[in-house]
Amino acid sequence: MASPGGQGAGALSTRGGSAARRMKWALELSLGNTRSRSERQGGQGDVIYPIGYSEKPVPDTSIQETDKNLVEKRCWDVALGPLKQIPMNLFIMYMSGNTISIFPIMMVCMMAWRPIQALMSMSATFKLLESSSQQWLQGLVYLIGNLLGSALAIYKCQSMGLLPTHSSDWLAFIEPPQRMEIMGGGMVL
Amino acid sequence: AAMAKLILLCLNFIILSNTVEAVFEDQVGKFDWRQQYVGKVRFSHFDTHLQSSKKVLLATEKNVFAALNTRTGELFWRHVDRTGPEGNIDALLLHGQDAVLVIGNGRLLRSWEINVGGLNWEIVLDSGSFQSACLVGYQGTVKHVAVLKKASISLHYLSNGHQKWVENLETVDYQAVYSGGNGDVYALGVVPHSHITVVSYNVEDGEINKQMSVEAPWLSNIQASCAVIAKEMLACVDSSTASLYMLDLHVQSQMTQIPLQSLGLEVDPGFQPALVSTQPNPARPPLSEFFLQLGPEQHLLLQLNNGQIVVLRDFKPAILVSFATTGEKTVVAVMSPKNKTVICGFCTLQCFPLACSVNLFSAESGRRLLDTTLIFNMDPNGGKPEKLYVQTFLKKDDSVGYRVMVQTEDQTLTLIQQPGRVMWTREEALSDVVTMEMVDLPLTGTQAELEGEFGKKADGLMSMVLKRLSSQLILLQAWISHLWKLFYDARKPRSLVKNDVTIENLSRDEFNLQKMMIMVTASGKLFGIDSKTGSILWKHYLDNIPSNAAFKLMVQRTTAHFPHPPQCTLLIKDKDTGLATLHVFNPIFGKKSHITPPTLPQPILQSLILPLMDQDYAKVLLLIDDQYKVSAFPSTKNVLQQLQEMASSIFFYLVDSSQGRLCGYRLRTDLSTELIWEVIIPTEVQRIVSVKGKRPNEHVHSQGRVMGDRSVLYKYLNPNLLAVVTESTDLHQERSFIGILLIDGVTGRIFHEAVQRKARGPVHVVHSENWVVYEYWSTKSRRNEFSVIELYEGMELYNSSVFSSLDRPHAPQVLQQSYIFPSSISTMEATLTEKGITSRHLLIGLPSGGILSLPKMFLDPRRPEIVSEQSREENLIPYSPELLIRTEWFINYNQTVSRVRGIYTAPSGLESTCLVVAYGLDIYQTRVYPSKQFDVLKDDYDYMLISSVLFALFFATMISKRLAEVKLLNRAWR
Repeated sequence: MASPGGQGAGALSTRGGSAARRMKWALELSLGNTRSRSERQGGQGDVIYPIGYSEKPVPDTSIQETDKNLVEKRCWDVALGPLKQIPMNLFIMYMSGNTISIFPIMMVCMMAWRPIQALMSMSATFKLLESSSQQWLQGLVYLIGNLLGSALAIYKCQSMGLLPTHSSDWLAFIEPPQRMEIMGGGMVL
Repeated sequence: AAMAKLILLCLNFIILSNTVEAVFEDQVGKFDWRQQYVGKVRFSHFDTHLQSSKKVLLATEKNVFAALNTRTGELFWRHVDRTGPEGNIDALLLHGQDAVLVIGNGRLLRSWEINVGGLNWEIVLDSGSFQSACLVGYQGTVKHVAVLKKASISLHYLSNGHQKWVENLETVDYQAVYSGGNGDVYALGVVPHSHITVVSYNVEDGEINKQMSVEAPWLSNIQASCAVIAKEMLACVDSSTASLYMLDLHVQSQMTQIPLQSLGLEVDPGFQPALVSTQPNPARPPLSEFFLQLGPEQHLLLQLNNGQIVVLRDFKPAILVSFATTGEKTVVAVMSPKNKTVICGFCTLQCFPLACSVNLFSAESGRRLLDTTLIFNMDPNGGKPEKLYVQTFLKKDDSVGYRVMVQTEDQTLTLIQQPGRVMWTREEALSDVVTMEMVDLPLTGTQAELEGEFGKKADGLMSMVLKRLSSQLILLQAWISHLWKLFYDARKPRSLVKNDVTIENLSRDEFNLQKMMIMVTASGKLFGIDSKTGSILWKHYLDNIPSNAAFKLMVQRTTAHFPHPPQCTLLIKDKDTGLATLHVFNPIFGKKSHITPPTLPQPILQSLILPLMDQDYAKVLLLIDDQYKVSAFPSTKNVLQQLQEMASSIFFYLVDSSQGRLCGYRLRTDLSTELIWEVIIPTEVQRIVSVKGKRPNEHVHSQGRVMGDRSVLYKYLNPNLLAVVTESTDLHQERSFIGILLIDGVTGRIFHEAVQRKARGPVHVVHSENWVVYEYWSTKSRRNEFSVIELYEGMELYNSSVFSSLDRPHAPQVLQQSYIFPSSISTMEATLTEKGITSRHLLIGLPSGGILSLPKMFLDPRRPEIVSEQSREENLIPYSPELLIRTEWFINYNQTVSRVRGIYTAPSGLESTCLVVAYGLDIYQTRVYPSKQFDVLKDDYDYMLISSVLFALFFATMISKRLAEVKLLNRAWR
């Protein structure tokens, strides 16, 4: 708002400044410091605003109704985000296959890590949803979505054989049985 | 190294396309060593045809013919013949560059060129048992060799072995053949206690010149008591009449009797006197001087002078005598004990001197030659001298110089130079290793001291602190001296740095890769060998070992119990009397232990080492006598008490293959036993060949196998399981069979029984974990076959915490598969590692001298015939009947190990590494890595590259960090 005068002055001054050496004289229209480079300085205190001019923007009350709807919508977006990702994840799961190699592992890690991360920052999300009227419902949906996401990741781990669900996974921990009898002997020497 | 290997591989393919090395070229001899032996010497000749020759030829009882370097004792070449009587060397005759050997009781006549050890010729002789052979000279040259057999005498050309003539002999027992260079060949025979028969043949055509028989009722064996001396004079000695008998072979006459008393001599009571003569040149008659041995330590030099016997010199005491000729001079070497220093055997109370002196005497006069004394210091842990071989040579001043090679009772060959310098020693007893063990080396003295500190009882805080400080100081001192030594050695050229291993500086290395090998040989000599270098650190000769003794070596206490010394016990059993003795010794130093072993009045059947320990950490050894009573060693109160508590869980089994009986016994608290089971295998049909249990120090890491569907098939790991192998007594190829029996040693329960029809032994068995692998000859298909049996408990474990044979109701599942193997085998053993994580390999000793490391993976009864998804998941190799021998599986590359008789495996401190010793005629030690070296950086690991890259990256980070800072600052200023 302060710019028109200042800008004009600045433009003039620069023009004057650049032409200063060529011209014999120049008239400075602005009252501020001629050497001042800063436009803000020029615009702040020294510009006299016209009467009725307010620096604060006037809030537009006519748009407020639709805005509220938007918040609601936005909150639902946040809440439904994890659920929306599930089809995408399913597709990735299908594409990456069950072989154990670096890319599927990375995918699985991502898939497992994201919901966990989301669950960890649950309170932050709730704060985001604070303004919504259906805060609790949205929170629940968000939670379910994330849980579903992590369940999907676990299922993927399971189908890749990364979960210790078989007896063979615990084989290495079986101690050799203790021997009850001592036996020895051999051919008669 | 990879490039070198490539080149080597190419070379190998070009030169010998059948062997490929499995080690890098620069690793040859780094982890492995081989020692070659020849065995106990039967005949030996120094190569004399050149003055500068460095060869000594040996023909041994192991059927080996070899040439040794007299300067170093190393082998020039060696020829190993068949074992047993077929390859037996009956005679060795040396003429110039040719060595003529009679082999296999007169089966073959061979001539070797001794410079390079090449075969000149070989001919097959007519059948008949060999008696004697000699070189035949005529008119100053030696062109023939005469071979006397029981039924014939034949003459062969030395140049090509062709037979010149052969004559049949009558039924008289001809024993000796002799030729004096005058165109006659004499065959001397005897009709025991009746008369001597002498037949003389013409060299040219084999016609009988003369034949005579002379009364000699006292004579039974010509070779033992007669010798030909001077010009065709047969001299014999008889102990019953105490006389010498002389017979002129030219003229038929009576034997002239010369009573020894007339010479002023007397025979030791009970001693069989003997005669020794010498014939330096086969083309000339023997010398007229000869030795008469009258007692174990009395030798006489006699001379036949104009038909009269003259005593030139009486050598008493003299242990050994020998003739030696150089040029025209013949001397006698006499070994006599040096008095004063006497050592007595522990067990036998037999005393023998600590040092002997050898002197030279002129053969003609019996006069002693000046400056010819040689001192032979005997090893107190060795045996008595047994044979003396003398090499003489003329010095520049025409005097006689000499070296002697002495063979002692413990089969040690020593070459000594004047005045007593030992040039080399060869321990030929090591050619016949019976059993061995590997023992961990102790920690260094200082380490052990530090460790021992915790074992001692505390006596006050202050003294403990002081003790700790002092031991830390000692450690510091040791470390500084070690550093100093490193620094000092670093300045010297590498070749000069000696790395001598002695008993004093022995210590365990970081990964326990260096161990002490304790080898027990058939001659009764014990050796302690450093496994890293192969140097013999101690030896101990046990005299009075019966020739057919059975040995069992047990480690009672390891080195882990400082300050108690480690302790090994050797059970020596005389198979004839059944009586046994125990030899208790320290395996690191070889010293006999001060602990007195119990005397065993009863014959001992078996022994059993228990995991129980007495208060001194010695494992308890149980000895079972023929009354089935048990005695314990050590038998302190503590031990007896422990035994009483444990008695009900101590079982033992005995297998008597002569009666076909397998019995199981249980110990009672009063140390008697009760029979709890018995299996009889009828000896008329089959006999028990071997029984294999599991090795007590074997660990199995994985209790099961993972299937394709990720379930577990649990292994049946019964520590009491025995594999019994039987062979049929009927050896006809249609009816012969072998049987294998898997039996529980505690309960006697038979789990599996298999009979392989149309198969024949020898069967080699390995029993480990849950599998048994055996190899046999299939007479039906005429090939060697491997068979593997694996036992599984099923998909569920019955009891995973304890294993008791008495409580296992379910019989295991048995899987079996067989394969064809392209070679016969000599011996077989499985690798062994610390924790049993590493996969197993079978080490197979082949008759060709190779040692094959065959992955057990190939011998797996679950190998499928049709590949399925699941079997692929399990990494099972599809079944194919043939097992291939891949050349890179030979762990001993070109280091052939002759006549492998046994392979010993021991775990090292590294899980990946297993130490292997193969013994037979040779000894070979190496390391194997069945699953590659997963816990060790490669030998050629590029430390320089890695560390320089690391440093470079580090500095790059530092620099770029600095640069980034500068740049940020600049940007902020802008």
